[in-house]
Amino acid sequence: MQSHERQMRHSTEIPRWCDDVTDPASPVRFARRSVLRAAVLGSRSAGGLLGPEDVADASAGTTLVYTVIGKILDVSPHVLVLETDAGEQRFPLAASAVAWRGGLVAPAALRQGDHAIVRRNRPGSPVVDRIWAETGRVTGTIIERDGPGSLLVDEGPAKGRRIVIIKASAAGRIQVRFPRLEPGYLIDVIGLRHDGFLQALIPATAQPPYHAGHPPSSPLVSGHIPDPVNGTAVWHEPGEEPAGLLGLAYPALDPETSCERASAESVRAGPPPAACSGDLHAVDPHATGPGCVRLPYLSVGSMLQLRNDCSGRARLLPVTGCGATARLFCDRCVSCGTSRRGRVADLTMAAFVELGGDLEAGCFNATMTIGG
Amino acid sequence: MSAALLEARGLQVLMLAAMLLGGCAGKGARVIRDRSFAPAFGPAGPAGLFPWRLRRPIMIAMCVLESGLGLALFVTAGRFGAGLPATAVRSMTALFFLVATGTLYEVRQRRPDVGCGCFGDISDTPIGLRTIVRAGLLCLAAAVAVGAPPLRMSSSLREAAWSMGVLGLELVLIALLSPEIGQIGVRLGYSEPCELRRLPVARTMASLRGSSQWRRYADRIVEDAPTDVWREGCWRFVVFPGLADGRPVDIVFAVYLQARRPAIRVAVIDGASDNVLSAAV
Repeated sequence: MQSHERQMRHSTEIPRWCDDVTDPASPVRFARRSVLRAAVLGSRSAGGLLGPEDVADASAGTTLVYTVIGKILDVSPHVLVLETDAGEQRFPLAASAVAWRGGLVAPAALRQGDHAIVRRNRPGSPVVDRIWAETGRVTGTIIERDGPGSLLVDEGPAKGRRIVIIKASAAGRIQVRFPRLEPGYLIDVIGLRHDGFLQALIPATAQPPYHAGHPPSSPLVSGHIPDPVNGTAVWHEPGEEPAGLLGLAYPALDPETSCERASAESVRAGPPPAACSGDLHAVDPHATGPGCVRLPYLSVGSMLQLRNDCSGRARLLPVTGCGATARLFCDRCVSCGTSRRGRVADLTMAAFVELGGDLEAGCFNATMTIGG
Repeated sequence: MSAALLEARGLQVLMLAAMLLGGCAGKGARVIRDRSFAPAFGPAGPAGLFPWRLRRPIMIAMCVLESGLGLALFVTAGRFGAGLPATAVRSMTALFFLVATGTLYEVRQRRPDVGCGCFGDISDTPIGLRTIVRAGLLCLAAAVAVGAPPLRMSSSLREAAWSMGVLGLELVLIALLSPEIGQIGVRLGYSEPCELRRLPVARTMASLRGSSQWRRYADRIVEDAPTDVWREGCWRFVVFPGLADGRPVDIVFAVYLQARRPAIRVAVIDGASDNVLSAAV
């Protein structure tokens, strides 16, 4: 029903050029934007954005170099067998290889059928040294609480709602950093994916003290936005995206042509009647201001260079989705030193691992280059 | 000279009242703007030293105390309320700023990253020595005002100039000790960077259709509506399908995001090979 409504909205009200990532024809259009931009602005310096040489790099670098994603067919202390898009693949395990499945475990403790994301020790090398199995994450606003350990979380208009279960064994660890597990407050937890819910095991950050609808505003910027921008890069589950997608959900998509458009229209039309009690606590991240980092407006298909300041790895990545929920968090990452406040990118799992991030850490300190 | 100093002591009352009422108004403005107490209860300021559930009542009590003392200082500045009421209000103000000085020092020790929140969200600069000294100076000003005679018109121009000079010097000193002055300056002279400027697509299209670049390429465009519109930073891109020498092409316009007479660039790109056939500024 909802998807039918979305299709109708797309065909009758929204112009064909509007960014609708659910439209099957859109990816080709988005991918071509960087070529068209480079053609009209000519060079990096002319437009203040990444130039044609960068675009060429990007088109050559859309493949995963360190990362492999697949389903575990077999695992032994020395070899991992994965069913990937390229078929069955065998990977020797480094002596130092560790796996994460709700906690650090020996690779042999992983289970057949687990969805895994693995990282090679060198680009293109067959040897694997990190494995994450059934790892999931929920980031958003708590809109309902049912009992001590069951939460309904709204991840924003682009991602929808998820159920989070916090078992007694993990409750203490999570509540130390998320003391207010109540509707209207933010949550960001990492755990094990199950059918229909996430079993939360570790907090991905500390809970912001403010209500989700009232994040602090960023300091005013005079002149142009500083470039590059420093901050925190986090990751999200693939959802409807391909599991191996290299890209990022950007917190500041152009409100006139992207996911914020529908929200702006709904604001003008007035609040819809609450369908359930949780809707009273749902927060539209587009209506809460720019968040605590001032980022330039971009669109799906824009190219950004993102550097993991902890591992030193950098990649040119396309904007593949709307990451407005990241605006609600005004936190810092302490993976290696203390990052500047605020989330600048919400990476796909594949991109996060490719850049050297550890999924269970939840974030890394990042430098994002938008212009040259 | 001594009469002028005596009058300057009395003028402290007005300065203190303005500071107290300004502080309350700054906090109130934030609550009204956000339609919630929650952001004002963040870690900023003395309320951050208390558990969450106590922050709201403490913030309200502080606002009530500030506005109450400010109004009372005004009311008792002249002959009305002179004597014991004026002395009591000024002593309470001195005590208020003494406690504030100690509290700011304590907040600085525990949370060096937060601002004092003295004037709402413009006081978000981390508490430094300047903020603490300012509170101490205000405490001193309140103590000096205790026992000062009621305010009256100066008896001579020289006396008025002296007292105004002393007050002016004091205000300059307070301005130098106030990190908020920089924030106010930024806000007054603020113009939103083009990367953050919100400009409707219709405005971009109107600017484009009125430009010489549009007129130059209009005969090659085959559809009224663009096939793609997107934005990157300060530029919005508009793509129209077209024909050049019988071949399908994409005509791409880049329009700078400013309301009046934006810069416009254009390129014609081969639809099949993506080769640039022509480009113009």
